[in-house]
Amino acid sequence: MISRAFLFIVVAVYTAFAAGPFLWVATMSLRTTSEISLDHYAWPETLHWEKFPQAWFNSNYSVYFENSLLVVISAVIVLTLVGAMAAHCFARYRFRINRLLYFVIFSAIIFPPQITIIALFQTLVQYGLYNSLIGLTLVYIAVQLPLTVYILESFFARIPADLFDAARIDGYPEWHIFWKVSLPIALPAIATTVILNTILLWNEFLYAVVLITDEAKRTLPLGIQRFMGDQLEDVGMIATGLMIAIIPVVIIYIFFSEKLIQGMTAGAVK
Amino acid sequence: MATVVLKELTKRYANSDLLAVDAVSLDVKHGEFMVLLGPSGCGKSTTLRMIAGLESISAGDLLIDGKRVNAVPSKDRDIAMVFQSYALYPHMSVFDNLAFGLRRRDIAKNEIDRRVTSVAATLGLSELLKRKPHALSGGQRQRVALGRAIVRDPKVFLFDEPLSNLDAALRVGMRGELIKLHHRLGATMIYVTHDQVEAMTMGDRICIMNGGKVVQLGSPLDVYREPADTFVASFLGSPPTNLLSGTFNGSGLTVGTAHLPVARKGEGDKVILGIRPEDIRIDASAPHTCGEVLAVEPLGAETIVRFRLPAVAHDVLVRGPRSVVAKVGESVPLTFDLASAHLFDPVTTRRIA
Repeated sequence: MISRAFLFIVVAVYTAFAAGPFLWVATMSLRTTSEISLDHYAWPETLHWEKFPQAWFNSNYSVYFENSLLVVISAVIVLTLVGAMAAHCFARYRFRINRLLYFVIFSAIIFPPQITIIALFQTLVQYGLYNSLIGLTLVYIAVQLPLTVYILESFFARIPADLFDAARIDGYPEWHIFWKVSLPIALPAIATTVILNTILLWNEFLYAVVLITDEAKRTLPLGIQRFMGDQLEDVGMIATGLMIAIIPVVIIYIFFSEKLIQGMTAGAVK
Repeated sequence: MATVVLKELTKRYANSDLLAVDAVSLDVKHGEFMVLLGPSGCGKSTTLRMIAGLESISAGDLLIDGKRVNAVPSKDRDIAMVFQSYALYPHMSVFDNLAFGLRRRDIAKNEIDRRVTSVAATLGLSELLKRKPHALSGGQRQRVALGRAIVRDPKVFLFDEPLSNLDAALRVGMRGELIKLHHRLGATMIYVTHDQVEAMTMGDRICIMNGGKVVQLGSPLDVYREPADTFVASFLGSPPTNLLSGTFNGSGLTVGTAHLPVARKGEGDKVILGIRPEDIRIDASAPHTCGEVLAVEPLGAETIVRFRLPAVAHDVLVRGPRSVVAKVGESVPLTFDLASAHLFDPVTTRRIA
């Protein structure tokens, strides 16, 4: 009984710690900047819902949102498919340079973005991909691929080899085995990478700010930055923008959370 | 149904000098139940996987129904395999597991339904068709794995230690069902196991393998009665054959201090005497030797007694009737049934008599 109470207190404190800032931003998103500067923590007296359409239409958020959606969805689709196929091959097939290739791909993780970004910038300029959504998408794919392959490979490697042998004897070629056996079984791990990549890329700022300059090509994190001037920060609008940016992440998480937990605890149970 | 012929089938793995399977030749007849028996690492599973097309063949020929299939992919060999781990697709229902192989083969949907339902009915799986494998017991999974092979109606059935993951009682039951299944289908079956009881009870013939080679091939009782070498003698039978070193002198064979009236055969003075536990009797009438009782294991139907013979390195096991009364430490007279004993060459380990 005492241990349960203790557990409850810990969970409650953690929840407050995690949800507090979120609620704070949520209240601020419904207050004007002048209201906020009078009292940072007050509950909204009048709910300024009009700030949302204002941000969406007047501050170009619809464009940022669309750009983010386009870049993140295409990057995540490519990442998931290419990552799963690569992981399947690394886990399944014995070939001479299997481990070497795996190591090369994985070693890309050790470089922080600050090191690679100048080279990336020059490369994109040379190929005419600088300041384009396609260029940003390609960079996102390249940056997230190693981790995706790493997570999926360890999961694919745990699928018993007998299943593939059985499918082969059942008459299926390798390509079908990937789609009909590997992929459905690895669904929990795939959900994990989908959520991870979506959240990471949705919030990505550094690559976007370096590689995108056009107002019409900005993604959401850059849009939020627009409210931060040199002299003045429109805190109220930043909060509104943040809420717009957060909502899809929350939806994705609610949708996939069960699979995410399955993926993270896979292997814990037989 | 079909014949399966292995001609000096050989497997060498890329990073190894050893041959996993060393020139194995085998002629499995139409409708025969052939058991590949041997300890782990003897190459029996690799041989089976080469027949299945899951491992490439390094040298030799594999013929199914008279056609050389070395380069034919497994899907075109018309074989079905039951795995030790069952290898059920975890994301599919029992029905889909059974139908998966048929869907690939241009079979009409209602025909698939008919075959799956009928096989499920024979195996007692009708109630479970909607369940996923994780909601089945070990025995039920085993049945699904079996059903997946039967529903395909293949030329050859391959079994890779299919009963090893079952508990003892279930194993005996499934053994009986597999024998019945073989009689009913009359199909050619190749069955890999390390369990000599499975081999003895199920096989029309047993192929005993060791170190990648075929050591002996024959019907279960022939192999049991006439083991080709000391390996087979000790591998088949539980408890195993007693193998005792002996030396010939003028009038017979001396084992420890015992003198046995055995005629000398072959070259050399030294031999290994192989005698099964049931061929030694506790008998005071005309004993060959006396042994000190080390342990008594009453099994109900019979009693196993472990003896130490004077000046003999290995303990001797004797299978006696349940009426045997022996006390640890006492000395007991023993009679050897020498007509059923064998002599082995101590160097080559082959049987000489």
